[in-house]
Amino acid sequence: MKRNPALRDALFAAIVLILLLAIPMLHRSPAFEDFIIRLSAMALFATSLNLLVGTTGMVSFGHGMFYGFAAYAFGLTMQLTELSLPVAALFAVALTTIAALVVGAICVRLSTDYFAFITLAVQMLFFSVIVSWQSLTGGDQGLRGGIPRRRIFGFDLGSQLHLYQFCAIVAVLGLLALRHVSMSPFGNTLRMIRDNAERASFVGIVLWRARLLAFTIAGGFAGIGGVLAALFVSGAYPELADWPNSGQAIFAVMLGGINSFLGPVLGAMILLALNDLVQRFTEYHGLVLGIVILAFALGLRRGVLDFIHLVWSKRAR
Amino acid sequence: MSGPVTRRTLLAGGTATLVAAPWVARAQANTLRIGMQSILSGPIALLGTSSRNSLLIEQDRINAAGGFLGRQIEFVFRDSKGQPQEAARVARELVNTAGCELLVDAEASSASFAVQEVMRDLNVACIHTNSETSSLTADPKIRVPTAFRVARQGVHDAVAGSLYLADFANAKKINKWATCSPDYAYGRDTTAQYLQFFKKFKPDVEVVTEAWPKLGQPDFTEVITKLIQAKPQALFTLLYAGDLSAFVNQGNVYALFGQMTVATPNVDYPVLAAIKNLPAGIQSATRYLETFPDTPANKEWGQAYFKRWNERPTNWSWQNSVAMHFYEAAIKKANSLDGKAIAAALTGLKINSPFGADGTITMRDDHTTIGYAIGWGQTIPKDPFITDIKPADWGKIIELETEWKKQQNYS
Repeated sequence: MKRNPALRDALFAAIVLILLLAIPMLHRSPAFEDFIIRLSAMALFATSLNLLVGTTGMVSFGHGMFYGFAAYAFGLTMQLTELSLPVAALFAVALTTIAALVVGAICVRLSTDYFAFITLAVQMLFFSVIVSWQSLTGGDQGLRGGIPRRRIFGFDLGSQLHLYQFCAIVAVLGLLALRHVSMSPFGNTLRMIRDNAERASFVGIVLWRARLLAFTIAGGFAGIGGVLAALFVSGAYPELADWPNSGQAIFAVMLGGINSFLGPVLGAMILLALNDLVQRFTEYHGLVLGIVILAFALGLRRGVLDFIHLVWSKRAR
Repeated sequence: MSGPVTRRTLLAGGTATLVAAPWVARAQANTLRIGMQSILSGPIALLGTSSRNSLLIEQDRINAAGGFLGRQIEFVFRDSKGQPQEAARVARELVNTAGCELLVDAEASSASFAVQEVMRDLNVACIHTNSETSSLTADPKIRVPTAFRVARQGVHDAVAGSLYLADFANAKKINKWATCSPDYAYGRDTTAQYLQFFKKFKPDVEVVTEAWPKLGQPDFTEVITKLIQAKPQALFTLLYAGDLSAFVNQGNVYALFGQMTVATPNVDYPVLAAIKNLPAGIQSATRYLETFPDTPANKEWGQAYFKRWNERPTNWSWQNSVAMHFYEAAIKKANSLDGKAIAAALTGLKINSPFGADGTITMRDDHTTIGYAIGWGQTIPKDPFITDIKPADWGKIIELETEWKKQQNYS
């Protein structure tokens, strides 16, 4: 099995997908289904960010802009045109990828700290455009009126079960594709740039080109997450493109583990579950979340999956 | 077991519990659960908690009277932080997981639109209690069969305010106006709406300057000096909550209120409490006031609220209270908790209410309430804070609202 990691990944993805699709057939739980729908969006968002943070060593504070961009692009396309849902979704993701390419072209040549700040600045700019361009985006009220529910291949996305199945399929395939990028020679190039940029450039790698490609791919996948988020809330809201949303993705990455591919997925899962759970008992959820994250950060000093890996490898030795 | 293994086991166990807990099956009980979501944390949590407070009073009253269809009621409160995505999730969770059979959506503006979309999928009755954005119910594309609004509606307030201010301006010969409103959709749209009606009633109005402070801006010096330099005869402002009290407190330092007449629709008890020296003569609407409508029922309600919570109610408080009055009457009429049955009973329903202009409030067939008290008067520094209150003319409001809806292609 070890000889063919791509096959192993595909097999793992298939098992997870079959499990996810089988659960509602055995037992319908609307809360579980909602959780998976939200997790699909957040997992793609956080994992795509980790392609920058963990794999390439580029800490982007503005990743939320692509999540929000895609949500608006998708919502507006559905509202303003007669395009079918998959075409509108693909169009939104393509548009987001182009936006990521343009933003990346401006940002990736800067060194780490400046890169982080300029991504944040571009996000704030984008957020301001959403809030100010009221005639198109509805301003701070968001894109109202819902996303028309259209059937695709027998899927009626107005139905929770169908939305759940759709999101599960998209998320698993999306994560598999990201895994593939991460394990490809290109992924290794990115890791090399992260570990020693100078040496990478001596080998003949054009740093900015590799970084730009990573940034563009990450933006595109965040866009897929954004489309799923827009489907869940049946609209698009400026909060999706605001900096706290980028912060959520960074939290998910740090909490789950920066060096493990599934770390951000686990981080997103923990964050969402904590959020849902804590909110039932107290209004001081910010405080509780803060303490939990602090405990993870100080107690484990790394993300959960990274910690488990570390303990596992120590034990194996 | 070695140390790290114990920690890992603990960690795995803890994580599993956290992940599994949200959908642990709930116990079925005969109590009727009503979901309520609002902003219960952050800078405007005060408004959310004032909604919750009044619902808790209603819960006790309704339960003492035998509950709904013989079942005791219990509220399940959730904080959405005012975020639309979270609001959508919470609404689904309240119905799907917490087993709520009725919803009170006490969200503000954008989050209420997110809840509205969720309502299309759930056959549960929902009353929006705080969103004043007209299109939520006025736009037939946005309206949802089982969702209603029991709250002020922006366009009603704009007509009433403009009519009052046009009369006032004509009497005092005030033509030169300035505006100062928060720089986001509510501030810009609503100012434009007020001005549109205002100019209709008083065509010679001239706006000499506009100021758009940011939401939550701590220092208004720049805005105040800009306003004073433009030398308007009057200022119209849509600042609200903490921004309004900060503006008045800072305006006092620059003697702004001696140099122009100020008009605002957004004065509320918490704002009054936060203002150090309330200037006399501000032209103000009554969002909630114990003395308007000046009836024993209104006064009694306001004082009961104060007695229970040791603070005075807000505009959001009465709206939530009325929502429960509507549910009570509709459920009795429908003899059912089914979303469609309640919707049918609510449509066109008229109830007696301490907050009605004539002692009644009606749920119109476009799912929004009419006939609630709207009045304008002027401030005095002491309780009751607003005097000489003139009630708005609902006939005129509805006439102009109908015209406005036609312009927007809503009907």
